Amino acid sequence: MVLVEEDRSKSENNSNEKNADNSQYECNICLDTARDAVISLCGHLFCWPCLHKWLETRPNNQTCPVCKSAISKEKVIPLYGRNCTDKKDPRDKVPPRPQGQRTEAPRNNFFGSGLDGLHVSFGIGAFPFSFFASTFNITTENRMPAPAPGSTQYAEEQFLSRIFLIVAIIFIIWILLA
Amino acid sequence: MVSIATARIKREFKEVVTSDELTKCKIKLELLNDNFTELKGEIGGPPDTPYEGGTYQLEIKIPETYPFNPPKVRFLTKIWHPNISSVTGAICLDILKDQWAAAMTLRTVLLSLQALLATPEPDDPQDAVVANQYKTNNKIFVKTARHWTNIYAGSTLAAEPEFDSKVKQLIDMGFDNHKSRVALSSHLWNVEHAIESLYN
Repeated sequence: MVLVEEDRSKSENNSNEKNADNSQYECNICLDTARDAVISLCGHLFCWPCLHKWLETRPNNQTCPVCKSAISKEKVIPLYGRNCTDKKDPRDKVPPRPQGQRTEAPRNNFFGSGLDGLHVSFGIGAFPFSFFASTFNITTENRMPAPAPGSTQYAEEQFLSRIFLIVAIIFIIWILLA
Repeated sequence: MVSIATARIKREFKEVVTSDELTKCKIKLELLNDNFTELKGEIGGPPDTPYEGGTYQLEIKIPETYPFNPPKVRFLTKIWHPNISSVTGAICLDILKDQWAAAMTLRTVLLSLQALLATPEPDDPQDAVVANQYKTNNKIFVKTARHWTNIYAGSTLAAEPEFDSKVKQLIDMGFDNHKSRVALSSHLWNVEHAIESLYN
């Protein structure tokens, strides 16, 4: 009888310990044990579905829900335990949001008013540099997340940037010759 | 299927109820319905502030998109504070708006509100009249806030008897109790100016 009691208290202790252990591996968003776990570069643990939803809620201001450091799909690491049977990257499970077919507004502006700007700044010596700066978008703050490789938008952007590069090279050669 | 919002509130609720902050910081959380969408919070006024000794009731509404969007919180207890509307109880606090993060919980929200009581932000006001008073007439602001704590938040500390007699003066003239107090508070307890504003 006493033995049984002891056993019971032992198993209760064990389950308590287990609970305490598990709480370290709780998702910071749903507060449940993290499933399809990913970890941010700042070290915070999430379920991938939870984090994905958070990033989707704030596409323009992607910050870690715990410490508010910058975070993105590319900057999280999937975690695989030893007995994890599913070795698939959790980030592939939740399909990324379908890409819109329209081109992004800021780039459109660059196309339209940017070309007008070219004519105005012809006489200024530093013009090609500013051209480069805007072509390669040196200020990376507040940029939209890059489209996934393989998508139509990605291909379009690649095509556009190639055209810009060629135009830039032609201008430089023309300036050198003139 | 149980929504994320409900599951999370259930977990958070347990966390607040079992924590020792309940007694130490005077934080309480109470369920108002079974779907975990409406709660009542309670915070104690922090020590060494005009709100000391007061108990503040909060209305908490959980949106369906919680925790990806912040809970909607409002003071039910009337309070004289630059960042809280003296009329509606609406709160101006960044974490309840754009600075919300999904890892925050009702517990951290209540603690942040308690911290807001201790450190007002008059440059980002919700109630412009209170904020202006806080900046230009801080002594009167402190007295007024303490008076409100006394009248509305159930504090038994240091009442302002002369404020009470001024309010009574207006009530005797036929004005509503709370309206008189707001008018006097907004006009630096100048009876004539308060009456003027009540007539306009």
